[in-house]
Amino acid sequence: MSDMQEIILDSTNKMFKSLCSKELIDQLEEGIFAEELWSVLVESGITSVGVPESLGGTGGDYNDALHILQLYGRFSVPLPLSETLMVQWLLADHRVPASREIFTLSVNLKNKIEIEETTKGYSIRGKAVHVPWARHAKSLLVLVNFEGASKVALLPLEQAGVEYNSNLAGEPSDTVNFESIDVENIFLEDVEEEKFRMKVTNLGGLIKTAMMSGAMEALLELSVLYSKEREQFGRPLHRLQAIQQHIAVLSGETVASVTIANKAIQAFGKGMVDHEIAAAKLKLSESAGKVTEIAHQLHGAIGVTHEHRLNQVTRRLWAWRDEFGNENYWADQLAEKVMSSNKESLWEMITDRPVTKVPLGEGIK
Amino acid sequence: MNKLKIPIMGFTEEQETFRNEVRQFIKSEKETFESQVDSWLSGYSPEFSQKLGKKGWIGMTWPKQYGGKERSSLERYIVIEELLAAGAPIAAHWFADRQTGPLFLKFGTDEQKEFFLPKIAEGTCYFSIGLSEPNAGSDLAAISTKAERTENGWVLNGMKIWTSGAHLSDYMIVLCRTSPKKPDRKHEGLSQLVVDLSSPGVTIRPIKYLTGEEHFNEVFFESVIIPEENIVGQEGNGWKQSMAELAYERSGPERILSTFPLLEELIGTLRENKDVQGMGESMKLLSQLYSLRHMSIGIAQLLEEGADVNTTAALVKDMGTKFEKNVAEVARLIIASHPSMTSDVRFEKLLAQSILHGPGFTLRGGTTEILRGIVTKGVVAE
Repeated sequence: MSDMQEIILDSTNKMFKSLCSKELIDQLEEGIFAEELWSVLVESGITSVGVPESLGGTGGDYNDALHILQLYGRFSVPLPLSETLMVQWLLADHRVPASREIFTLSVNLKNKIEIEETTKGYSIRGKAVHVPWARHAKSLLVLVNFEGASKVALLPLEQAGVEYNSNLAGEPSDTVNFESIDVENIFLEDVEEEKFRMKVTNLGGLIKTAMMSGAMEALLELSVLYSKEREQFGRPLHRLQAIQQHIAVLSGETVASVTIANKAIQAFGKGMVDHEIAAAKLKLSESAGKVTEIAHQLHGAIGVTHEHRLNQVTRRLWAWRDEFGNENYWADQLAEKVMSSNKESLWEMITDRPVTKVPLGEGIK
Repeated sequence: MNKLKIPIMGFTEEQETFRNEVRQFIKSEKETFESQVDSWLSGYSPEFSQKLGKKGWIGMTWPKQYGGKERSSLERYIVIEELLAAGAPIAAHWFADRQTGPLFLKFGTDEQKEFFLPKIAEGTCYFSIGLSEPNAGSDLAAISTKAERTENGWVLNGMKIWTSGAHLSDYMIVLCRTSPKKPDRKHEGLSQLVVDLSSPGVTIRPIKYLTGEEHFNEVFFESVIIPEENIVGQEGNGWKQSMAELAYERSGPERILSTFPLLEELIGTLRENKDVQGMGESMKLLSQLYSLRHMSIGIAQLLEEGADVNTTAALVKDMGTKFEKNVAEVARLIIASHPSMTSDVRFEKLLAQSILHGPGFTLRGGTTEILRGIVTKGVVAE
């Protein structure tokens, strides 16, 4: 890790720690958006890390951004940061300048959105489901059907109808309805649909991996702290052998998850991604089930109350493990890679350096 | 949670080239050995060990003056990985290379270093490690084998058990009492002695393992005379010296790759059969292997830097050995077969070896329960 990165992460860590209270996270579920914290993030430049300075972004690389998202996961930050970053990165490939707005995106196969050209511009009709943070976002990046062809579009959300829904963690996951909405001008670009879907899934999978690894660190910290504070049978929990077994397994799963997440982040940062994202999201999604079970078992009844901080972390892990591909999805992806590899043996696949592939930066196409 | 931080290491261009060199050598030797599971414990071949010695791949990190090659521990890591993944027979020199050599380098006298290290590096001098006793398994403080100082040297009496490869070794590093046990300081008064296993008074009785093969032994010492200078390090410091050795052995590739030959065979078979579903089911193993391997490599780097890896090494051993076992469980469900040690079908044979060797993985080098105690202590202490 570079010195520069260490400074950025250190200050982000401090910022999240001081501003992201349990109450603030609770408020999200009561429908209150953390305006103030969002402004701080925008002012600090965090919402456009990875967008080149030449486009008005903060600069820095994906590595910086992904480690920031790790911290985001660790503190359960209740804001649409990953969605905004993702959209900005995808748009930056098209030389679209950075913005201070909130963005969201959805590549759900159930989305059906039609765009027609009109005399005054365009007309949007259709529906997008499971759109994260739609109620707060200004625009939605989505695949649309335009004159019989697939395109990627950035659609304004002001006039769209939004039905509220939320994921297991209480994060907004809304349905967006466009009922023949007219707009003068929109971002509309050609796209190879499958390739684009894969690209967004890969990027989303990596981002969730980073966020989940941070959440697991928080889970371990909470559990260890509780095992030191709480006494049973006349001594702190961590002195009981049965509890020690739990803490050790929890530590193991966490370290394994953080390590493979860091490996994927590093590979992505170098543009050398082959199987890393698939292996990492698979591992993290699998571990999420294990660590949440242990953490709740260890905390006893207090952990399952809405009052306790624990559930803010465990519910996020349960939500995120299914977003951008669950473990079976990524196992299939990995299986396909192994199946089609030109390497002689599994060992060669595991140890050989991945071929250089630039995962972003080749445009939305 | 600083104790749990593991750096992500990548190999350099030179190291990759070196890996290729090792791989080519193993390929050229493929006809001379049968790939097997757990080959660092059961693949005994002095001929192969000597070939590795000639290559300079035993004791390769040690100083040149003692027959080493002064290469980095990551290069050693590459050699070990390649050998284990191929299931090559490396048991003969294994403990000497991994433990005894480093022990001498750290605590040995000049004479001991000059006498033993070059022979070990040549692949001609083999050691076993005498820790466990019938009443001292995980609880090494209960050791009762004792050595008394006389005019003729040490007189050793007692018994060791579960000693891997003693019947095939030249020497054993014996942890024994050199002064009486004090109830409040039970780890004191232990020392490490080099015992020539051909000495009068040494009786070695192999114990048959689950596979029917002989890997470990009972070793009896009846008034065995050991030269005064055969003590390693400080008298009474044996416990600490042994514990330092254990940290080194817990996070190595041998805690992850013991059943890799089976995994290789499984994936190879699925690829050949174009079995996409079976391949999907086995991918959880692959993602676990990736994460464990990067943890293990990161710890190797930390060891080189002299960092304290007690907690993470125990953690890797716990998870790695569980993984090794799990490979067999997943493999037998994906490809239905009749595992057998004598089968002509490679998959069935490797599966049988993996199942029957399985219980040992989580016992040797510290049981799961002991390791988890170490991990928790480390994590809670922060």
